[in-house]
Amino acid sequence: MELEEVVSPQQIMKTAQGHALGNGGEHTVYPETEDEIARILTYASENGKSVSIIGGGTKRGFGGTKDSDDILLSLEKFAGVIEHVPGDMTVTVKPGTVMKDIQEFLAGHNQMISLDPEWPEYATIGGIVASNSSGPKRLKYGSARDHVIGMRVVYPDGRITRTGGKVVKNVAGYDMNKLFVGSMGTLGVISEITLKLRPLPKQEKLVLLSFSKENWEKLRPFTVSFLDSTIEPVSLELMNPALSKKLADIESYTLAVAFEDVESAVAFQENWLVENKPSEMNMTVMEKEEAVSFWKRFTELSPKDPSSSSDIRASVKTGSKNMDVFHLMVEADRLHHESGAAVYGHGGLGHGVAKMYIEGPEDKVITAVKSIRAKAEELGGYAVITHLPLAVRRQISVWGNQPSYFFLLSGIKKQADPEKILNTGRFVGGI
Amino acid sequence: MQLMRRKKKVSANQDHHIEAFFKIVGEKEVLFEDVDMLSYNCDGFTIHQHSPKAVVFPKNTREVAALVKYCAQNDLPFLARGAGTGLSGGATPLNNEVIISLVKMKGLLSVDYENRKAVVQPGYVNLHLTNSISSKGYYYAPDPSSQYVCTIGGNVAENAGGAHCLKYGVTTNHILGLEVVMPNGDIISIGEDGVPDSPGYDLLGLLTGSEGTLGVVTEITVRILKNPEMKQTVLAYFDQVEDGSRAVSDIISAGIVPAALEMMDQTAIEGVEEGSFPVGHPRDIAALLLIEVDGIAAGIDEQIEEILAVCRNNHVKEVKVAEDDAERGRWWANRKTGFGAMGAISPDYLVQDGVIPRSRLPEVLEQINEISRKYELRIANIFHAGDGNLHPLILFDSRNPGETQKAVDAGSACLKACSDAGGSITGEHGVGIEKIEEMRFIFSDEEIEAQTRIREVFNPGNLLNQGKLFPMPGRCLEVKKAVQ
Repeated sequence: MELEEVVSPQQIMKTAQGHALGNGGEHTVYPETEDEIARILTYASENGKSVSIIGGGTKRGFGGTKDSDDILLSLEKFAGVIEHVPGDMTVTVKPGTVMKDIQEFLAGHNQMISLDPEWPEYATIGGIVASNSSGPKRLKYGSARDHVIGMRVVYPDGRITRTGGKVVKNVAGYDMNKLFVGSMGTLGVISEITLKLRPLPKQEKLVLLSFSKENWEKLRPFTVSFLDSTIEPVSLELMNPALSKKLADIESYTLAVAFEDVESAVAFQENWLVENKPSEMNMTVMEKEEAVSFWKRFTELSPKDPSSSSDIRASVKTGSKNMDVFHLMVEADRLHHESGAAVYGHGGLGHGVAKMYIEGPEDKVITAVKSIRAKAEELGGYAVITHLPLAVRRQISVWGNQPSYFFLLSGIKKQADPEKILNTGRFVGGI
Repeated sequence: MQLMRRKKKVSANQDHHIEAFFKIVGEKEVLFEDVDMLSYNCDGFTIHQHSPKAVVFPKNTREVAALVKYCAQNDLPFLARGAGTGLSGGATPLNNEVIISLVKMKGLLSVDYENRKAVVQPGYVNLHLTNSISSKGYYYAPDPSSQYVCTIGGNVAENAGGAHCLKYGVTTNHILGLEVVMPNGDIISIGEDGVPDSPGYDLLGLLTGSEGTLGVVTEITVRILKNPEMKQTVLAYFDQVEDGSRAVSDIISAGIVPAALEMMDQTAIEGVEEGSFPVGHPRDIAALLLIEVDGIAAGIDEQIEEILAVCRNNHVKEVKVAEDDAERGRWWANRKTGFGAMGAISPDYLVQDGVIPRSRLPEVLEQINEISRKYELRIANIFHAGDGNLHPLILFDSRNPGETQKAVDAGSACLKACSDAGGSITGEHGVGIEKIEEMRFIFSDEEIEAQTRIREVFNPGNLLNQGKLFPMPGRCLEVKKAVQ
């Protein structure tokens, strides 16, 4: 049987090879229904074809050491809102739906998915969930895993399974949602996602806080006392001076503190900062539209396309103890000045996830990435490389060391995808 | 004397397994005579009882690992148990298990305020954590009604919820790391130091709520939160259940995220007013709502005003705001002891735990009424209305022949009504043995098999907490397999 017998020829495109980010396919196939996804996967597993999955392509440089699989399964045409029940505060969408489209639709009902992942104008909800994306507002709202309440997933052999449900609270059986969230498409193709929603905040503001260059070390004790207060910031994101300069023209370590609440509560918290911040601390307040536009630029920091110059670009996600983000940002600053590559970084002092974006000649970028990983590991954390050109990914481990419980990860992969046809090599330890 | 007697008994039985447990944990930490083990025959789900082979009380991870390894090597079924407050039979020794009781591993190992985390042993009582850190203004969010006695290890096994999970999430949203003894005795550690998003599949998410079938949790790193600046609680009485239900929807639609949004119907009110913490709720109302808002004090009044307006728009009979913390505390004690209070108005009761999309509340409540009429049993409803988690309490008298079974059937019918409304058979109590058959209301055989395949990875010998959660595959699947 040929692929043309599985879906209509119009849905298949011969693909140009040699994409600098890899993760391509000999043929790109565009399913428009869950049934078509199942048929394509059944065809692939029966014919020993390997499959790579793509949505908006913003994470094409994340993991994987192959130029191309046999089939590139693109979900971009499998998009749209399936069901939105405003009273239940849940929405069910197809995986290829672009984040921004969902948010605009929900905003019409004064609701939102309270996630702030990278590139909402391009990233699909399927990719966001498959990579468990999150942004600075994770401090209050959590990551993708905290929002998904149900899914439909097509296993590599074409079987379809449902996980979770459409209710916000559910402990029936194992929490299989968690298995697929963040699994980088290595266990199955997500064909439907139900998420829980929140009301749009009635007011939002962004406050940037910084000391002068000489006094920056005062930021840490201030942060500790701020965290210990009853103020409820939605983000408490520390930027290294390079990033702060780029986004806000402040060349010093800067805290991006967001408030989202009813108007009186936001006003109170802003005022609390005015009254309680050290006198030498600089404070810039951005009102709603300004705040929204700041965060939009924030989501566009991570590279998604191949570099057009001879320099290369990388992005790294680190996980550490919350306050160790300070040490990581100091390292990012050091590397920015000493490594020969530009290093922009930010991280959440209340949640421990930091991101660094590196640009420069290949060897300098590799050195910087390795230094960041060494620092993160020294602190008891980890570094995952979330973007690099294919050629460089082949020289450096994307996921770092295998955990001691790797046998569980490989065991799970084996149960779901025994033939190893799906996004192979894209995940931890070559899974 | 006591020890002598025990030793004699053991040698008489020549049970070398008991001797082996003695060696691992010490003689004082092993129960093996039926009379000593009576309270381990079941957990909070008392309808099915079985006796364990032994109950052992390890004091540390090393002893747990040694016990598990011994059981694995000797083909002995075993399970882990906390305070035994589970409501679905998850800790019932169906197969004459060795019960590894974790109640002596009850330490608070560390609190790290700067990084907002605490490390506890599995036998640590839920409420003790909040009590230990409240002087610094912190708390642990998941608050099941049994929090004054249930253990955090048990909370992890069941992915426990509570009244305040509407705003703050359930246990899985608060677990940062776990140390786990695998069913072969190996010790693994996930999310060490509370570092978020460990690379790899989300094993924390999978283990949380796995009802003790994937491993024995021996250490837990949890997220702790800062106390909200202010809490305010509203109590609203309604003459019509429908008005109360509509008020719930309207509060949510107004863009308010209450910390808790609870409902009780007339029968439930009768129970709690006869129970240990009566607060003087009128008996002639159809339903009450308990609504709590917390956060920045400056924003609370605005939200309370809006909630009061919503209640008035929905024909509230009486609505009041708690005058002080003491009154707030009384209202909550009355609510949180609600299940037990049913003992005051009925010899026996069975708690159910269905979930529905919250917009389907009125119609499902009506169906539950019908079930009550059909089975001729009173059903009280206490529930987390905000997230659609219903707790129908089926009142019965086990002394009447056949009535226990009738109550079980009525409970199952309630879960069917929830499933048919697009909901689930359990929101926080777990499947255990109680709802095994009801799993079929929401999952196909293949979907159940997808889950047992995961169990296979962790627990290949299936010696750990066997016979829980999943029904045996239906005939249909077996036939399919035979054909293949």
